Amino acid sequence: MRKVVAVVRREFVERVRSRWFWISSAIVPTLFGALLFLPAMLATGGAAKRLVVVDATDSGLGGSLAEALGGSGVFVATRIPAGAGVVDSLVREVGAKRLDGFVVLSEDAIASGDVQYRASNVSSLRDISELERVLSQVITVARLKRAGIDPAIMARAEQSIHLETEKISRSRTTGENAAQSFSLAYFMGIILYTVILMYGVNVKSSVLEEKTTRIVEVLVSSIRPFPLLLGKVVGVGAVSLLQLVLWVVLGRALLASRGLHGPELLGGVFEVPQISVATGTVFLAYFLGGFFIYSAMFAAVGAISSSEQEAQQAQQPIVLMLVASFLSMFVLLNDPGSKLSVALSLVPFTSPIAMPVRWAAGDLPPGEVAASLALLVAGIVGVTWVAARIYRVGILMTGKRPGVRELWRWVRAG
Amino acid sequence: MTPVLVLERVTKRFAGHTAVDALSLTVPAGGIFGLLGPNGAGKTTTIRMILHIVLPDEGVVRLFGEAGSARDYSARIGYLPEERGLYRKMRVLDVLVFLAEMKGVERRAARASAEEWLERFGLADWRLRRVDELSKGMQQKVQFISTVLHKPSLVVLDEPFAGLDPVNAQVLKDAVLALREGGATVLFSTHIMEQAEKLCDALGIIVRGRLVASGALADIKRTSSRQHVIIGFAGDPGRAAVLFSDRALVAAVDDYGRYAELELAPGADPQRLLAELVGQGAPLSRFEIVEPSLHKIFLDLVGPEAAGEAPRA
Repeated sequence: MRKVVAVVRREFVERVRSRWFWISSAIVPTLFGALLFLPAMLATGGAAKRLVVVDATDSGLGGSLAEALGGSGVFVATRIPAGAGVVDSLVREVGAKRLDGFVVLSEDAIASGDVQYRASNVSSLRDISELERVLSQVITVARLKRAGIDPAIMARAEQSIHLETEKISRSRTTGENAAQSFSLAYFMGIILYTVILMYGVNVKSSVLEEKTTRIVEVLVSSIRPFPLLLGKVVGVGAVSLLQLVLWVVLGRALLASRGLHGPELLGGVFEVPQISVATGTVFLAYFLGGFFIYSAMFAAVGAISSSEQEAQQAQQPIVLMLVASFLSMFVLLNDPGSKLSVALSLVPFTSPIAMPVRWAAGDLPPGEVAASLALLVAGIVGVTWVAARIYRVGILMTGKRPGVRELWRWVRAG
Repeated sequence: MTPVLVLERVTKRFAGHTAVDALSLTVPAGGIFGLLGPNGAGKTTTIRMILHIVLPDEGVVRLFGEAGSARDYSARIGYLPEERGLYRKMRVLDVLVFLAEMKGVERRAARASAEEWLERFGLADWRLRRVDELSKGMQQKVQFISTVLHKPSLVVLDEPFAGLDPVNAQVLKDAVLALREGGATVLFSTHIMEQAEKLCDALGIIVRGRLVASGALADIKRTSSRQHVIIGFAGDPGRAAVLFSDRALVAAVDDYGRYAELELAPGADPQRLLAELVGQGAPLSRFEIVEPSLHKIFLDLVGPEAAGEAPRA
């Protein structure tokens, strides 16, 4: 037992001491922060686009369009009457970058809806959609007027509907709204994927290092392979937990400073989730389960490889399983109740990511959670049993990497 | 005194070939025991079975007179594997403490003793450096320290001198001798005969997985090989030269006229040869029975065909 403690301590201390641990502790929350803030900052950044409305109408439509565009905050627009050579001179202005673009508006537009827009940049989705929005508004009003309908009536009819969403969990409302559920599920998925992959690979490297340096020969003549493997996984697991804690603390600090920029900056999609105790517990349980099941597999990979390159290849199927569970997140978020979602959250290899995501996205029957957890525990026991047998033989083996049939022989051999 | 180590008809087969074949060996307590053999003879496999790293297919390994596994006695055994390696990113002192803990040494005691050893090997200033900052020679010293830090009574060294420069080889040789002085039993494998001849009190020679000779060095020399005689003549040897072609007496001769090196036939008595020479009236100036070198014995035992290497285990 004292030897296992020594193994755990070594894995923990050496990792926490390394520069990489602290760099990744700082970088990940910063990256997440950047992901959150950058789109919002970029969206509001940039000077207003300078537009000219070439007005070929006699109903004053161009004037109201220029006014509406100016009111959008995205554009600054001036109306000029259409005439000979106006378009050509505007093209030159755009070429000389004194102007960003121009809109050609004819009387015909009200009937056909065809409007021309020429600009130096026509790929900015935000600009185009804003322009379309303003145009359709102005033209709609013009059409209504032409049909003799009071625009004020139309405005009342168009009064937008605001859908208030609130998640019901175990027959009571939680106060988490749809945006919060989405972002919580999303973040949990990303973090689970990242940490399980990162620290699974750590276990693999640790096994591989001992194997290639032959330290493992000295170790297994003093400690049995299984306690050695266990100590390793627990030690690395403890580091990953510490990393998580650091991320949460740093992430919280970062989000707290968000107030300076104003909440509207984040847009409507990402909102700071309120993490309940139940959600935290589910997350932690599946994180630990996922870490154990995957790191056992990664340990086996380290044991059957004799170089980092070989291990890179051998770990492909395991990494693929993780990536698949990660990608399944989008299916899950779309429809947490579908048959596929249920299956994904029951299978032990995908459930560590799928289940917490589903949990965060919607209400789950407790029976399903219990079944998933039971399957996960069974999966851990089974996978560890197989992995430990491969590990025991593999760490002392040299030469060619064994094939599947050879591995199967190792597993069966008592 | 119970032998430290007994192997009883130990056999290990790998896919396709038998690495160790019904090998029986006794290593007495105290002293230095050499496990000799050409590359691929099964030395490393034998050592790995002794250390319980691989299990024999047949046969028994007895350590300290009991049939337990090496893991049960890990505190009393030190092991230096053939291929060297340490945790490259760890500090020297931490590596030593960790490996000693694996041998059941309490943490604080391990630390004190590691400091002491580092001092002795002139590495005290390096104790907080990372292993990969050390030169290869220093790393080998650190690894040797890790092998003996827990004061084992049996030290197993697999090819300890391989790849050492003369200075470090000397340091290691002194350390091995010091272990013997301290009462430990040292078992080491080598294919360098000169080293074994100087260091070993007893040895076993393995060829193709089988033990072909073992025992005290002097006994092996007496029995395992034919004797050599060097003869010098003051004048014309005359009819004495005819004796050299007596195959009952001489197996091979390297004749220089006034000087000859003879290899006696199996069982031939050098005294008879001397008597015959004197009887022939040969003008002898020199008659010397030479002890064959271990190198020569080894070559005789191994045979020329073993010069071609067996596959690696």
